[in-house]
Amino acid sequence: MTIEFTLTKRQEELRSAIGSLARNVIRPQSLGWDRAHGIPEEFLLRFTQMAASMGGTAGAWGVQGLGATGEEASESAEKKKKSGGAMVSTVVAAEELATGDPALLLCLPGPGLGGPPVRGSGTPEQRERFFSVFKDMSAGLKWGAYALTEPGAGSDVAGIRTSCRKEGREWVLNGRKCYITNGARASWNVVFATIDPSLGRAGHRAFVVEKGTPGFSVGKIEDKMGLRASETAELVLEDCRVPEENLLGGEEKYQTKEGFLTAMKTFDNTRPLVAAMAIGIGRAAYEHAVDFVKERYVLSRPIPRYAAIAERLARVGRDLAAARILTLRAAWLADREIANAKEASMAKAAGGQAAIKACMEAIEICGAHGAVAEDQQLLEKWFRDIKVYDIFEGTGQIQRIVISKRLMPDLRSF
Amino acid sequence: MIDFEPTEEQALMVTAVSQLASKLRERIRQTERDHGLPAELRLAAFEMGLGGGVAVPESHGGAGLGLVTAVLLDETLAVGDPAAPFALGGPGALAGALHELGTPAQASEWLGKLSSADRCGAVAWSEPRAHATRAGFCTTATRSGDDWVLSGVKAFVLNADRADAFVVFAQVDEAAGWAGIGAFIVERAATGLTVGERKVTLGLDAVGAFDLKLDGVKVGPAARLAGGEDFCRSALRFFVKEALKVSARAVGLSQAAFDASLEYVTNRRAFGKPIGHFQAVAFTLADRAMDLEAARHMVRRSASLWDAAATGAASERDALLASAQAVSMSLEGAMRAGDDAVQLHGGAGFMRDYPVEKYMRDAKQLGLCSMTKEQADQLGAAVALGVALDPAVVLPTPDLQAVFT
Repeated sequence: MTIEFTLTKRQEELRSAIGSLARNVIRPQSLGWDRAHGIPEEFLLRFTQMAASMGGTAGAWGVQGLGATGEEASESAEKKKKSGGAMVSTVVAAEELATGDPALLLCLPGPGLGGPPVRGSGTPEQRERFFSVFKDMSAGLKWGAYALTEPGAGSDVAGIRTSCRKEGREWVLNGRKCYITNGARASWNVVFATIDPSLGRAGHRAFVVEKGTPGFSVGKIEDKMGLRASETAELVLEDCRVPEENLLGGEEKYQTKEGFLTAMKTFDNTRPLVAAMAIGIGRAAYEHAVDFVKERYVLSRPIPRYAAIAERLARVGRDLAAARILTLRAAWLADREIANAKEASMAKAAGGQAAIKACMEAIEICGAHGAVAEDQQLLEKWFRDIKVYDIFEGTGQIQRIVISKRLMPDLRSF
Repeated sequence: MIDFEPTEEQALMVTAVSQLASKLRERIRQTERDHGLPAELRLAAFEMGLGGGVAVPESHGGAGLGLVTAVLLDETLAVGDPAAPFALGGPGALAGALHELGTPAQASEWLGKLSSADRCGAVAWSEPRAHATRAGFCTTATRSGDDWVLSGVKAFVLNADRADAFVVFAQVDEAAGWAGIGAFIVERAATGLTVGERKVTLGLDAVGAFDLKLDGVKVGPAARLAGGEDFCRSALRFFVKEALKVSARAVGLSQAAFDASLEYVTNRRAFGKPIGHFQAVAFTLADRAMDLEAARHMVRRSASLWDAAATGAASERDALLASAQAVSMSLEGAMRAGDDAVQLHGGAGFMRDYPVEKYMRDAKQLGLCSMTKEQADQLGAAVALGVALDPAVVLPTPDLQAVFT
């Protein structure tokens, strides 16, 4: 134990390899993907194979890679020392990859955000059944997804209205889910529903709803401000009949409040990851502005006009560094299996804000070039991509509620 | 590998210093009124190894415990009283100046001489005003045979009243601007040296700030600090490392302000519930907690990079960039912490019954010690842009903003 902030040799190699891939291979294609509203499957397949051959740690390839095989990512203390920590590696890699294109991370095949609840709450049979889908993707890529948000319940997860009732050996689901990443192309969605809204969290049930289940259909595909290469779908459940074997964890799991906890537990590990992605986008914009300024100005003399620009650049770099260290801390705590809800929320809140500021400042510093010139259009894209990072996985305000409750344990609600 | 946890030895030292900090906290107002620490607490701090030489290598007469240890201890002490780390016995800021600018022999000699709870060193850098016609200091050092003669006025010198020796910066080559500055060790007893009146300051009352007048002060050739291969670069290292220690104190101050705020908003009730249970208050607290965590670990990370740079395991460039960011973040964070602490206390915060108005005043003055956040930002930008580190921009010169040293 000693305070130090250098990556292990292996982490450094991974960071460098992913970084060069992100900037040399991914970035040049990202505007095209944005305009085409998707990333070609051949590229995703090639990328997935390449990632596997580079042999990163279990989680090192971002959201979708997190436990892609469904195996626990936990390591022995000895292994942890050697690897530098799986979650630390993950956030380091996610930041690098996001400098190439943030949408790519969301498009990668695998269980996605559906992975953590199946892994954490599923029975051994369920884990085997639902993760085996991803074992062989040679015939086509496969995705999993996580369907919680509804038109009437976003941040207030406890307020979901999608209903479920038991009929014989099936559950019948009715309702709508929205803003579901990869929801339309997913082989299965983890869908949250309630047996009785008046029961609050105790009434929640989580189901794995497979593609093709009778009564399950895809509504509209959203037209978004940014992350346009990522699919965001509306899901419609009309007397959707789900076999009882697909109730996540089985009936007895729901005698406690664990249904809701299943939904929330997903976030303690994904928030640092989302923060890292945001920081990656912010860093891309910041580095773009630094390069732009270097070419246009000589900043070695204390001319006030230049000093003002220098100060703005410095503050963008500083705030990204602040968010990065909060993210590393949340990840480091996760690797040591220490509760990190507060730190994860700090990372997420700081990361989203620092990166939005970075993109806005970069555009301003580059002036009109930042918004229109052909060679600067990545900046315009990052500016559109970044806003949602202060919204999804819990808005900045929700993060502050989480932090407040940890600071004041007797605070139940506002 | 990434690790946020101090060593066992560091943890033990932090625990001991933390107990001292509690005692300082109890008498924070008296220390302020007395313009100094009580002798017994200064002695206790000295016996714990505090007082300037923690991070100086053993080869230079220091404890050789590294900058990480130094910032951990300064942060811990400042939780008790943010002014205390400035008011200790021992060489203080002079230790760092001698480490970076002097030879091992010079440093060892003076760290040894000043190693006592009743002794003290000081650094005289700033001047009352910028030179009217050229870059550089108004204070000059001119040759007189083998000796040097120093003349001029230095300003904002902390602890000048009780200092036994000073590192005085002066112009040795007028034509060379900021590249023509030098530094000298000057003893308190030197003929022609006078310490001005104590200035009435905004905060940090436990430590005094003074002008230092030099009227033809003659020093021998051994008093000159050569400053290694590149004097300004060595001076920059001194200021940045000193600024990191000040930043650690800013983190300690932020922690104290945060603790006071949390306690107040938990106990103070309005409209039927603790005021902390209103979102506007709770979110303010959450934001300050985020600033505090980020600043704390940025300071520690920067210190670890300097420790690694000393053995070639990290680049000086990385250490400079991380430090500039940490300094900017922690000084700004401390000001927000102090301001919000007063704000959350409402009218009570304005009264001296509570410590938060002192934290707010101390925070503003901390932001003017060693390096300001504006200077840190200019340094950070210069490193990030990869331009030459022009002393006029990256050193805290009186041309831009004078600092307390």
